[in-house]
Amino acid sequence: MSTKHVLSTTVNGEPYEVLVEPFCSLLDMLRDTLQLTGTKKGCDEGDCGACTVIIDNKTVTACMILALDVQDKAITTVEGLAQDRELHAVQAAFVEHGGVQCGFCTPGLIMSGVGLLRENPNPTEADVRFAIGGNLCRCTGYSRVVKAVLAAAEHTRG
Amino acid sequence: MSANTNTSKNLGKSYPRIDAADKVSGRIQYASDIYLPGMLMCKVLKSPKVHARIVRIDTSRAEQLPGVRAIITGKDVPDAYFGNGAVHDKRILARDKVRYMGEPIAAVAAVDEITAHEALELIDVTYTDLPAVTDPLDAMRPDAPLVHDNLPSYRGFAEGMGGNICTTLSNDRGDVDAAFAQADHIFEDTFRSQGINQGYLEAMACVANVDPSGRIHVWTSTQAPYQIRATLATVVDCPLSRLRIIPMEMGGGFGAKLRLCVEAYPVLLSMRTGKPVKLIATREETFTLSGFRLPTIVYLKTGVMQDGKIVAREAISIFDMGAHLGAGVQSGVSHTLGPYNIPNFRMRSYAVYTNKIWAGSYRASGVADVTFAVESHADIVARKLGMDPWEFRKRNAFQKGDLAIQGGTIPTNGLHETMDAIKTHMALPRKSEAGTGIGLAMCQWRSGSGPSTASVSIQEDGTVSLLTGSVDITGTDTVFAQIAAETLGIEVSQVVVAKRDTDLAPFTGPSGGSRITYSQGKAVQMATEAAKAQLVVLAAGLLDAQPQMLTCADGGVHVTDDPDKRVSLAQLARHSVATSGPIIGTASLSAMPFAPIFSTQAAEVKVDRETGNVRILRFAQAQDVGTAINPMAIEGQIDGGVVQGIGRAMSEEVVIQDGEILNPSLTTYLMPMAADVPTIENILVEVPSEDGPFGARAVAEPPGFGPPAAIANAIEDAVGVRLKTLPLSADKVLQALRGEAVAAANIDPELLQRLRR
Repeated sequence: MSTKHVLSTTVNGEPYEVLVEPFCSLLDMLRDTLQLTGTKKGCDEGDCGACTVIIDNKTVTACMILALDVQDKAITTVEGLAQDRELHAVQAAFVEHGGVQCGFCTPGLIMSGVGLLRENPNPTEADVRFAIGGNLCRCTGYSRVVKAVLAAAEHTRG
Repeated sequence: MSANTNTSKNLGKSYPRIDAADKVSGRIQYASDIYLPGMLMCKVLKSPKVHARIVRIDTSRAEQLPGVRAIITGKDVPDAYFGNGAVHDKRILARDKVRYMGEPIAAVAAVDEITAHEALELIDVTYTDLPAVTDPLDAMRPDAPLVHDNLPSYRGFAEGMGGNICTTLSNDRGDVDAAFAQADHIFEDTFRSQGINQGYLEAMACVANVDPSGRIHVWTSTQAPYQIRATLATVVDCPLSRLRIIPMEMGGGFGAKLRLCVEAYPVLLSMRTGKPVKLIATREETFTLSGFRLPTIVYLKTGVMQDGKIVAREAISIFDMGAHLGAGVQSGVSHTLGPYNIPNFRMRSYAVYTNKIWAGSYRASGVADVTFAVESHADIVARKLGMDPWEFRKRNAFQKGDLAIQGGTIPTNGLHETMDAIKTHMALPRKSEAGTGIGLAMCQWRSGSGPSTASVSIQEDGTVSLLTGSVDITGTDTVFAQIAAETLGIEVSQVVVAKRDTDLAPFTGPSGGSRITYSQGKAVQMATEAAKAQLVVLAAGLLDAQPQMLTCADGGVHVTDDPDKRVSLAQLARHSVATSGPIIGTASLSAMPFAPIFSTQAAEVKVDRETGNVRILRFAQAQDVGTAINPMAIEGQIDGGVVQGIGRAMSEEVVIQDGEILNPSLTTYLMPMAADVPTIENILVEVPSEDGPFGARAVAEPPGFGPPAAIANAIEDAVGVRLKTLPLSADKVLQALRGEAVAAANIDPELLQRLRR
């Protein structure tokens, strides 16, 4: 007895139509159904930020949203940032400035960074620390993550 | 900041991690990202009891649930004991009794996770409660309930064990009682650390698949593929050669993934069902399916002369091991002297069973707890003597040639340089503003040793393929590429570091204990040297020159005095195919010489007298890293370690009440977020080690040791109160400021006397 519903949504510019259970989170839908595994599950309770994605220009934790609530919305995941095989400025800055270590929190941190720069192209260090305030990282101590986001902002401003 | 002045093309260069692009694009694969056709999902049933006999386990209702494919309990698996440490005191599934809340009892494989979870709820277990003991001091009482009633029958049982005591260690030097009798002053303090979870972002995850030939393939998140292969062979009762461990990208471990965690359950269920089986631990299960740190109690007694010279130390340490002997006793106790030359000492340490999850490893287990005690005590003693804390440390700090606790003497090191660097950087001594204070701590560790191997082959285009068995956690593959490139005189981009598994790569020690760059990196250097020697011999023939007249540089070999007489590595590699045979260099070593690493840390804090809240204004640290092969990777590793230490100091505590973990969640287990910490100020001191690759030392462990003591010392400097139990939470600071009693760490005098032996 299936209780699945049809969900139509757009992920990284691609339209999808999938069957999901009503209790399925956006995170599980992205990972298990679309196999977009770049979005990570660190806690599944909204604390760690590893599953951060952007929905219609807002950063959210995908584990805290039901898949059926993204009907007709546009979602961007870490897989959707690179354009023409070129890393997004935030991704490139994480590589160059050592903002990535084990990499598990990295997709979420990058999405928070991208979300910040869309709203505020000229952030201060305090702005960056606030914007990534929902992303736990255990490897970097945040110093180089902050540096990377600031460098990406500078690069984007040109 | 780096003092590196070398002119090398590959050393001292902050190459980005070679896997960074894969990571930032979300393409790198962790174990949880594996989806195999027909894959079943696994869940583990855990004990709701702290200590109880298992009377009966009834799985019949669960077996009837549609979608359930297999259920295993203790009686379905080989009756094997294994150990995290010297004593084999642990089973993969409980049989006769459970010893802690969360102990695995059964495992289910079902078509999906929800069905597996439902099945757990249908397993009926009948228990008879047993009296429990959850405090290590209580556990040492003669009438305490026994966590293991058959301890003497265990493999690894030895002299000094008994009751709930699973390890005793002693170390003595000189005549400590005579030295205390002659000392001008004697100071005693007792400290207590808290339960700490490693806080890796990727919970344990594993996929196991038994192929039709019976080989068992295990994709997992581990620091120690060869070591868990051996444990799995015991648990599953199969030949080692049937197991193939494929270590996936690892989302943090910090020691938690050094031992078998969850792998046995999917393996056993795959063997039963013939299907691939996957287990992804929940966040809550990072508090039950893998051990973490439990409290350590450290008593210190120090005899000093009026001039500040330490003449005697007594140290008694008690390590809470939970239900199974785990990590940290040996390394913890060996740090109870601190980085100081103390001529007379008596060390006693005890590892004690309690009814809690087993004590796992975490970034040099035990040493952070002990460093909190030793470095807090150093400040207390200095202040009571009326000495500047930096001067007191300087007077007692190791000099080259002093006796090392590990045996032998202290070799060349940068300890004093780190002290001097911090003194300058923080402009010490200095009077702080009201409510702010500065505190110091010094940290030490050894560069990790142990078996290390590497294999280097020269490809026909002159590039290098490098194979090692070690898991890359902190960017060590990038460092290996730098070492190989430097040895051969090629670009880092011309070295491919192979992805490996236990079928492909030679045996090696685990990625832990600050081991990889120093020891495994040495093997990489030696293997590359071996390949280079073969290249040079071939080149000598082609260039009609003696090998000692040749230089390997810029992707080729040339006559040192006549660079135009040159062959490229590609030419040599192609030539080798038809002459000497393809070029392979290998290296294998069992241990590396003792190379200490020292650091000095300084915290500057502001204390709010109204709330007890402590704000970290600055945190600086100077560490002797030897030759800094990749400064960015080193500083990144130090930043992370320091912030973990700040969490340990300020906010992290696994709260365990009567054996129950009250906060197994990131909502309530509070790790530092970006806004809680300042940018860490790093000073790399580079005093080359005598034996490490190009003089490198290890890096990983010390940064996390110092923050609890540095911050406790800064709090006393700021507002005059001294806390001896962790964490240094606002409520404790406020209680102390109000003159109220703060949770103490004291050991009752009768027990203390007994522990002196």
